[in-house]
Amino acid sequence: MGYMPKFFSYRAANTLLVFVGLILFFSFFTPRHVFVDPRNITSLSKLMPDLGIVALGVGMLMICGEFDLSVSSVLPLCAFIFISLLKANISPFFALGIALGSGALLGFLNGIITVKGRIPSFITTLGTMMFWRGILYVGSHMWPIGLRAYLPSGSVFERIFVGKIGGVIPVQIVWFVAFGAVLGIILHLHKFGNWIYATGDNREAARAMGINTDRVKIICFMIVGVLCAFVGILQLLRMETFACTQGIGFELKAIAASVVGGTFLMGGIGSMMGIFLGAITIQILENGLILMRVPVFGISAFIGLAIILFVILNTYIEKRRAR
Amino acid sequence: MVSIPVSKKSEESLVKMVNIHKWFGKVHALKGVDFEAKHSEIVGLVGDNGAGKSTLIKVLSGFHLANEGEIYFEGKKVSITSSSEARRLGIETVYQEQALAPHMSISRNIFMGREPVRSLGFINKKVMNEESMEALESIELHLRSPDTLIAMLSGGERQGVAIARALHFKAKLVILDEPTIALSIKEAGQVLEFIKQLKKEEIAVVFITHNLYHVFPVAERFVILNRGETVADVKKEDTSIEKLSELIIKELSTGKAVSK
Repeated sequence: MGYMPKFFSYRAANTLLVFVGLILFFSFFTPRHVFVDPRNITSLSKLMPDLGIVALGVGMLMICGEFDLSVSSVLPLCAFIFISLLKANISPFFALGIALGSGALLGFLNGIITVKGRIPSFITTLGTMMFWRGILYVGSHMWPIGLRAYLPSGSVFERIFVGKIGGVIPVQIVWFVAFGAVLGIILHLHKFGNWIYATGDNREAARAMGINTDRVKIICFMIVGVLCAFVGILQLLRMETFACTQGIGFELKAIAASVVGGTFLMGGIGSMMGIFLGAITIQILENGLILMRVPVFGISAFIGLAIILFVILNTYIEKRRAR
Repeated sequence: MVSIPVSKKSEESLVKMVNIHKWFGKVHALKGVDFEAKHSEIVGLVGDNGAGKSTLIKVLSGFHLANEGEIYFEGKKVSITSSSEARRLGIETVYQEQALAPHMSISRNIFMGREPVRSLGFINKKVMNEESMEALESIELHLRSPDTLIAMLSGGERQGVAIARALHFKAKLVILDEPTIALSIKEAGQVLEFIKQLKKEEIAVVFITHNLYHVFPVAERFVILNRGETVADVKKEDTSIEKLSELIIKELSTGKAVSK
């Protein structure tokens, strides 16, 4: 096989091409090349991991054939649990553990309702999204809660999640890469990853071969829940405030990121590298367009267009691969 | 008396189903069916749509539980309550469309759910690839790479991969549910060759079909079902393709059971 066909045989290849293309385009065409300005790059690497980390989990869940729309409610709910525990004078590390555990529990609920109730996860998580949002609004009275009263500035805890390495590199981007690497290793090298693909690609075959597809799905839902809780706390620390509007819109953006990364809505197809690049690509697209002074409210038009073009491209490539 | 172990073994029953009844609500799908397969025997299970072939086999592979009747495997009475229970006994079922995941590689399909692992559950890709190729070679299926996606294979090759998987995991009985139904003539011929290889490996095969012309060249015995009853159980040397098809047509027109 020559280099070119071999390159294109990787599912993430076209996402990588668009990714590089966008970076070049914005580097040249943003006013005063502000896209590659260190300040822009730093702020991007602080902001991108928020959606990025959620998308890694959502993409993996999509490979096993399910959706999670509840991320935009699980995320602020876990952040609320975290700050409420801080308020109650509980150590931040312990509070983190409980918040992550709550995320896992909320994911577990999504999973168990979906597989035991035999209903599409689109419906389950649409329901839980609205349910938890309601609970959160009532519980928090929709008031923002400042962090500073409960956690002094510059604590070790804070530096682990939102500090800067060597005063330059935001830790968030390191977390994003680390989660991508760990989930990528699980998905592509571990037997559990094989079960995820099998569950999404042909559930009947997977079951006939003795894979507990229900358990695979539930675990994937739980991974999404934990990642949401993590991001909820990350955002809270960065903004130094809890806001009940945290994470709104993430549910569809995370799916968009996965799709741009070559994940199929039907499940069974996708790669962690693709999801990772997809999550960065749509955020770079957004950032670049803003820097090019495209009206902010018009940005979603471009993102929508990009998603459709990507799916057409991916479908075309998948057809060629199967030939 | 001198015993000849090999021939004696081949006369022994591997699986025996006795007086199997299955109801689906008010529908009496199996009305006391007897079915037997001997060691390394190829049995053709023939009948028209709705005759009860699939129901019978689903009872044997643990998908359905019979309402009445007994199953004996290697002489011992067993109750097969799940597909993993069937597999533990050595019964592998290959379904036409449900056997493989199309967007996964050959080796990942062969080892689906039973991946060879190093420590901590990480897949040992080298072992997986080597053993996949060995399994394919053992049924004379020569494919280029274990990394090829199933979607890129022909229908016959896909059946081959599923059959090789059953062989690799030391099945004693392989049930093939309509393995030739969606295949071209050439591909169907290829599948028949795979089945002969299974017999060489001393594996019993139950070949389910409604196409006598596909099953006749390879099977040694034929069991014909009609409306939930066994209407014939004959050895190949005692019958012919004409007689068998006549039997099926006759049964369909009169609806009366005729014993052999």
